[in-house]
Amino acid sequence: MYEWALKPGKADGAHILSMYERAIKPGKADGAHILSMYERAIKPGKAHGAHILSMYERALKAGKAHGAHILCMCGKAEKHGVAYSAHILCMCERWNKENVMAEKPYNITVKELNERGSGSIPSELVPASQLIYSSPATLAFNSPGATGFGVKRAGLAVPGSVMLLVAPGCCGRNTKLVSEIPGYEDRFFFLLMDESDIVNGDHVGRVPEAVKEVVEYLDEKPSVVMVCGTCVDALLGTDWDLVCRKAEDASGVPVRPCYMYALTREGRKPPMVLVRKAIYSLLEPAKRDPRTVNLLGYFAPLDDDCELYSLLKQAGVRRINEISRCEDYESYLGMSKANFNIVLNHEARTAAADMSSRLGMPYVELTRLYQTDKIANQYRAFAEGIGAEFDDREYREAAEAAVREFTEKHEGLRVAVGEMSNANAFELALALTRYGLEVPEIYSSTSKEDFVYIRRLAELTPETRVFTNLSPTMLNYDCGSAGADLTIGADAAFYSPDCPNVPWNGEKQPFGYEAVRKLFAEMEAAL
Amino acid sequence: MSVKGLHKIIYPFAPDQSGAAAVLYEMGGMIIVVDAGGCAGNICGFDEPRWLDTKSAIFSAGLRDMDAIMGRDDLMIDKIAKAAKKIDARFVALIGTPVPATIGTDYKALRRMGERRTGLPVITMNTSGAGWYDEGIEKAYEAVIGKFTNDAYTQPVMRGTAGVLGVTPLDCGRLDAAARIEEILKGEGMTDVFCHCTAKGLSDLGRAGSAEKNIVVAASGLKAARMLREKYGTPYECRDLLASDVWDQLKKDSPELSAASFAGKRTLIIHQQIRANSLRGIIREELAEAAAETRIDAATWFMLDDEIKEEGDFRIKEEADFFGIIENGGYDIIMADPSFRKAAKGFKGTFIDLPHFAVSGTLL
Repeated sequence: MYEWALKPGKADGAHILSMYERAIKPGKADGAHILSMYERAIKPGKAHGAHILSMYERALKAGKAHGAHILCMCGKAEKHGVAYSAHILCMCERWNKENVMAEKPYNITVKELNERGSGSIPSELVPASQLIYSSPATLAFNSPGATGFGVKRAGLAVPGSVMLLVAPGCCGRNTKLVSEIPGYEDRFFFLLMDESDIVNGDHVGRVPEAVKEVVEYLDEKPSVVMVCGTCVDALLGTDWDLVCRKAEDASGVPVRPCYMYALTREGRKPPMVLVRKAIYSLLEPAKRDPRTVNLLGYFAPLDDDCELYSLLKQAGVRRINEISRCEDYESYLGMSKANFNIVLNHEARTAAADMSSRLGMPYVELTRLYQTDKIANQYRAFAEGIGAEFDDREYREAAEAAVREFTEKHEGLRVAVGEMSNANAFELALALTRYGLEVPEIYSSTSKEDFVYIRRLAELTPETRVFTNLSPTMLNYDCGSAGADLTIGADAAFYSPDCPNVPWNGEKQPFGYEAVRKLFAEMEAAL
Repeated sequence: MSVKGLHKIIYPFAPDQSGAAAVLYEMGGMIIVVDAGGCAGNICGFDEPRWLDTKSAIFSAGLRDMDAIMGRDDLMIDKIAKAAKKIDARFVALIGTPVPATIGTDYKALRRMGERRTGLPVITMNTSGAGWYDEGIEKAYEAVIGKFTNDAYTQPVMRGTAGVLGVTPLDCGRLDAAARIEEILKGEGMTDVFCHCTAKGLSDLGRAGSAEKNIVVAASGLKAARMLREKYGTPYECRDLLASDVWDQLKKDSPELSAASFAGKRTLIIHQQIRANSLRGIIREELAEAAAETRIDAATWFMLDDEIKEEGDFRIKEEADFFGIIENGGYDIIMADPSFRKAAKGFKGTFIDLPHFAVSGTLL
């Protein structure tokens, strides 16, 4: 009947629509039929524009055609050119409204997370399993060259070094920000790829000449030229060791590769691990000094008043090297005389292992903690390991006094904790909870290693909610809903913009009891 | 002879992917940068000044090495479909980066797969990260005009209606550009103005064919204007509506500056072509008769369109070319982004700062 009505000279426009409307009432045509009617109606000369839209809308409302049918209607309207773009868009929007409820940001309580266990971390907390939301909170995490000590800045840790970034223009764009930091001016050079380089790898052959030209351009010979490759070369499989050897021959200065391969971020050797290895790769075997140690892991020094310096001196150490305190290339080379390395950040483990095999330099790892009893245990174990004894009472008492003073004054204070800080968010949340503060929300991605803290958090504060900065659903986060009185971490500030914040992400690195004391002083100042 | 592509002083400009994102930023779509993370970080953290104040559904695809090597497009589409269920978006835009450019991603297939899985219109831009921002803007305009305007119907032309193309912070250098342009055009007697691809962009695109004329404020919008002329017969004119404001600002910053400063001299203006052209026009107009003895050339690192260039205008491709112009160009005055000052340290004439956000990230 409907079909008959569509024939020339019969019903048209509003009539067709009316018939259609009747047909989709309960007990009448359904699913494929509706689609078929719709399809016929949109043939040239019949209903179009507003009518089509109206039919579509009714199909949606009546709960008749849905899913693939609705989509198909939309596609057909577009194909036949009957509906205007605005109508098509409107269809899409309606389809969206019916099917998409802006979802609440993904979160899970520490109790639930602990029950799932480290072998079953929800995919929402795992970066590689979802799109990554670009919020100010994720910038540092997601972009290895963007802020703080990314690959570019870290690669210039060797005094007197310069960097040649070999990449398409996009990879070098934000380098301008780093170049504005004192000490980094005139240290970046770029060999820009064009589209044919990306496909053919022709740029690789230009690297030795480019390094030579850079060295000749500089008034003073650099100690080393770091050649920084990016994702394109990761995919082309460029042999940077070979390229750098050729560049070394052409320029007459040491040339080393470093890898800004964001593609490998969750791999075994991510960019920030490899860059740490690269910057110590110039050290050669040397006569060792039993009273010298190296601190590895950070590109800025520990806070000057960190007790680790004093404790090492108590143990007889006379010289403590950190790459960021090396004033010139000679003092950097002096790091090869150390008796052993202390690894303060797990991302330096590969570098330490490399130094162990190349230079015979053993290493020991210390973790940054905010629970004073755990700090004490770690120092004790470390002292025993090196056959020494530490007297850390003074430092521990100062830290615990700062904690006591704060918690007595601010009993039950609610502190939200983020991961963009000089702390492990879970360990810090645990420390704060143990000190008597409340942690309503944690913003952090989760790894297996975090479960040592999550287990304890689940016992002490099971309802604390864990969010991940990376989830697309964080776009729907209602900023200010955390109900926090204070936030720690630059990312946490983004989620509670009206709340006092301690960014705690300065470049000088807090460590040990001094970190605890300073953190609580900053928390007090923020309030 | 310098090595091709070597930049010793001048930092890379905003790339094509940033240009594409700038067009789409406020249009209510789900923007996916097909990268490992760094490109999205660069767009948001450096090239998109609206990012800190205006939320936009801009995501990194979070590609990993094996995704790229094995060409696991289906995984990316899974991620997109999953997110599309949770985000209120009107369309999906996929912006290319060096990773898909290296592995030769089939965007057409991605578009089909994406539309099937999400039920949303999907547009793709094969940007590579190796082009400059204007190419990305051009590609994004091409994609949205292709997708969201319809050529089956001719729309009745509404007198007093103007469409504006090329309005992005990268070219205009200010965040209130759309509002200011609307104010200027209404002052000229237009009754309805739509700056395409700004906050109201998508709905305005639906009525693009009703514009009496289109005004192109940056060379990156020229191809879009030609597409709309082709589709709807809409004529276009090229003029930077903000050039007068820029000129006033320059004079405010340097009170001794006036059109007379250029009289009888050789000047080079380096910017995007239409801004350089418009500033040249303003100076000539103020110079009146003296304009005849004054030579002003326009140069750009970006697209140089033959239709709107004058004799003597040129495009700069390599850093070494720039050094050559500084040393041997014979110019008395150079107006260019302040970040070029360092590369122009041998220049003996007068250097006037003319910020270009796509070059130095400096807003006006």
